[in-house]
Amino acid sequence: MNSRLEALISSAKQSWASEQASGRVRINVTLDTSSQAKGAGQVIEKLHAAVAAKKLVADVGITGSWGFCWMEPCVTVRTAAGTQTVLYANVTPERVDELIEKVAAGHDMPELALGVVEGNPTADIPLLSDHPFMQGQVRRLMANLGITDPENIDHYLAHGGYEGFGKALEMDAEAIVKEILDSGLGGRAGGGFPAGRKWDFLRTATASPRYLVCNADEGDPGAWVNRVLMEGDPHLIVEGMLIAALAGHADAGYIYIRYEYPLAFARLKKAVEQAYAKGLLGKDILGSGKDFEIVVFLGAGSYVCGEETGLINSIDSYRGMPRIKPPFPAQAGLWNKPTNVNNVESYANAPMIMRNGAHWWSSVSDAKEKGTKMFTFSGSVNWAGCVEIPFGPTIGEVIDRWCGGMRPGLELKGFQPGGPLSGIATANRDLTLTLDPYRELGMFLGGGGIVFFDQHTCTVDLCSYFLGFCEDESCGRCTTCHGGTQRAVEILRRIQAGGGRDVDFENFQKLVSTLVWSNCFHGQFAMTTVKTAVKAFEDEWREHIFDKRCRAGVCQGLIDYRVRSAGDPALTEAAELCPTGAIVPDGSGYTIDDPRCIRCGACKEVAPNAIEVVDRFAVRVAEGAAAGG
Amino acid sequence: MTAEPGVQELRELVAEFEPGRGHVMPALHKVQDTYGYITRTAIEVVARQLNTTPALVYGTVSFYSDFRTHPPAETEVAWCCGPACRVMGGDRIREALQQELELPLNGQTPDHRIGLHIGQCNGTCSEAPQVWVNGEVVGDLTVAKAIRLARELKAGE
Ligand SMILES: Cc1cc2nc3c(=O)[nH]c(=O)nc-3n(C[C@H](O)[C@H](O)[C@H](O)COP(=O)(O)O)c2cc1C
Ligand code: SF4
Ligand code: SF4
Ligand code: SF4
Ligand code: FES
Repeated sequence: MNSRLEALISSAKQSWASEQASGRVRINVTLDTSSQAKGAGQVIEKLHAAVAAKKLVADVGITGSWGFCWMEPCVTVRTAAGTQTVLYANVTPERVDELIEKVAAGHDMPELALGVVEGNPTADIPLLSDHPFMQGQVRRLMANLGITDPENIDHYLAHGGYEGFGKALEMDAEAIVKEILDSGLGGRAGGGFPAGRKWDFLRTATASPRYLVCNADEGDPGAWVNRVLMEGDPHLIVEGMLIAALAGHADAGYIYIRYEYPLAFARLKKAVEQAYAKGLLGKDILGSGKDFEIVVFLGAGSYVCGEETGLINSIDSYRGMPRIKPPFPAQAGLWNKPTNVNNVESYANAPMIMRNGAHWWSSVSDAKEKGTKMFTFSGSVNWAGCVEIPFGPTIGEVIDRWCGGMRPGLELKGFQPGGPLSGIATANRDLTLTLDPYRELGMFLGGGGIVFFDQHTCTVDLCSYFLGFCEDESCGRCTTCHGGTQRAVEILRRIQAGGGRDVDFENFQKLVSTLVWSNCFHGQFAMTTVKTAVKAFEDEWREHIFDKRCRAGVCQGLIDYRVRSAGDPALTEAAELCPTGAIVPDGSGYTIDDPRCIRCGACKEVAPNAIEVVDRFAVRVAEGAAAGG
Repeated sequence: MTAEPGVQELRELVAEFEPGRGHVMPALHKVQDTYGYITRTAIEVVARQLNTTPALVYGTVSFYSDFRTHPPAETEVAWCCGPACRVMGGDRIREALQQELELPLNGQTPDHRIGLHIGQCNGTCSEAPQVWVNGEVVGDLTVAKAIRLARELKAGE
């Protein structure tokens, strides 16, 4: 291996080893966007104070996410002797003092413990690997998460970091491309296009300079796999791009990060700075004669900038409007030069493919889609977390194993597999997490963000949201897309308001067949949710259009809020809470003044027994009839 | 409110940026990070610095939802429109917030104290449904909690 790299690695390993053998207690806090939402920043401050107060000989550090996002903040405590590390969850600022008191007394705290990370299990604390959420996961990309400090390049180097790059440095470009091709690595944004083939386009291009783009726009709402990786192990992406640069003779790379991810932006900026400082980026990298620059670029809020040519325009031009293809980025991308665009997770797989070989990498499962994939799960399930698994488990397994089941009282009605363009699937627990079944249904598996919903979600309303999103985010180039999504939103809102018409199914069909003529996938697939939902949930849609009924009790024009028991004492609070003052005194109790009611449901939350949601049309028709109509 | 930055000050601020090098967005970010929003003069100065027209720079500013041409409110409430939040009743929370704050989405109270705008999911869906108050997640909301939050904000608490 390159001798300078060898020296970097061996000194990093030494410093890691001396940290481990410091004889001090080590307390690490997951510091990412999810844990920050639960006060992780404050937890760190309080830990410092508590450690000082207890005169505990301890260091406080940070790590990336374990994936237990619904139980943040997560904290590991490693004993001074280094014999045992325990992972704790829900360590909110209020619990810090108690935890440190226990640790200082030489005890653990089973009520917050998730498991033993290293060392032996105890009577109260099992091994972390026995936790149901960890079962069946294969953590390769996530191997360092929870273990290393994402802001410390030495931690990365001490755990096999940049070894894959070291191997690639000794290979020619063609051999690197071959290794990636042999692995079968498919694009992780959801298309599954072989990364090796894309890299070969760049390798065989004739123009220069050549560019790499790392697509870190992760615009699909409900997906945060790329964020977990960038915040947790940013050097994986830098190293992956370095390997791709060698394979494709690239001169510079851009990492395009969405504005909603300020911490990922800061971590990658820091990682890139550290890589420059160690001579891993810049001119004559580690004396190899190779040059490669990386720019970390911040977006400003636009979904279509995740589309590869929208992204390219966003960097080298003005508005991030998707370009007309061809030419494709491989021929004319950034500044009209050959450019390779890959997703964060696609690049991040390259280091371990180089380090351990294509065969090792692809033999993790029998699925057609090779390697592991990160997924985030959310919605009506108990656990909203992030996992890394081989392709192939069924939706049923996903819910039972990695989501802790559905929330109490909720039944699975369906799910969104991968973002606003991906479609809506029914509660088919046998669908597998692989690409083909979704393609067959006219949908996409997408980039890894799966959102489950239950009987209280209305698919017409869900489509109304997705189409509203597509309308807002349309770049405006194609009338089919910006006009078509606008039209779809009008129709959906009209149906929700009780104005559904027979022709609406036909209207949707027309829109589907018109929008496919749009320039980019945004317009082409904007109607996928409606198309798939109308088919999969036909009864629900017919009820909305013909019977003016929303079985989920969501669509505002089809429901009324009514007082069921006017004397319920909880109504006083409901009346005080109602944002429109619609709950008015009526004799000795209350009634709802319907024209004022905006159907926000606050009253039903605080007076669940006194308020009911009824079918507006059915009830009114019946009342009209009773009144002698 | 502080006076709008002058031409000279803005020129110095964006002096490091060059035409043809992908510097439009970084320049606009720098202006917004410094002043909280992007003024008309700033658009002209950036255009000149990057050897382009104000129309193209304005086009860029208006294309992205996170560039602002007006100062933000003292307290900005961003409502998450994402799917996990919606599945958990997020849209009814929006309805109540708009009513309670008497604001449309992307509106601001006349005294510039409170603003309401659409936020995009940042993957803190474990806290759904949620809003961000000046960037801090306020999660696990109910409509009732959202109404009380809005009332507290209005009362200046
Ligand atoms: C509207 C739209 C949004 C997209 N957003 C993203 C995104 O946020 N992240 C991403 O990696 N790819 C996104 N893509 C896909 C990219 O265009 C591109 O196919 C992908 O970055 C290729 O990476 P891969 O081959 O490594 O999967 C989007 C596509 C469209 C049409
Ligand atoms: S399909 Fe929509 S987003 Fe894509 S280029 Fe056309 S208008 Fe823009
Ligand atoms: S649904 Fe909302 S607006 Fe209607 S009565 Fe209840 S609290 Fe008031
Ligand atoms: S959009 Fe309007 S102002 Fe702009 S170039 Fe076209 S016609 Fe002229
Ligand atoms: S959908 Fe609201 S945070 Fe993800």
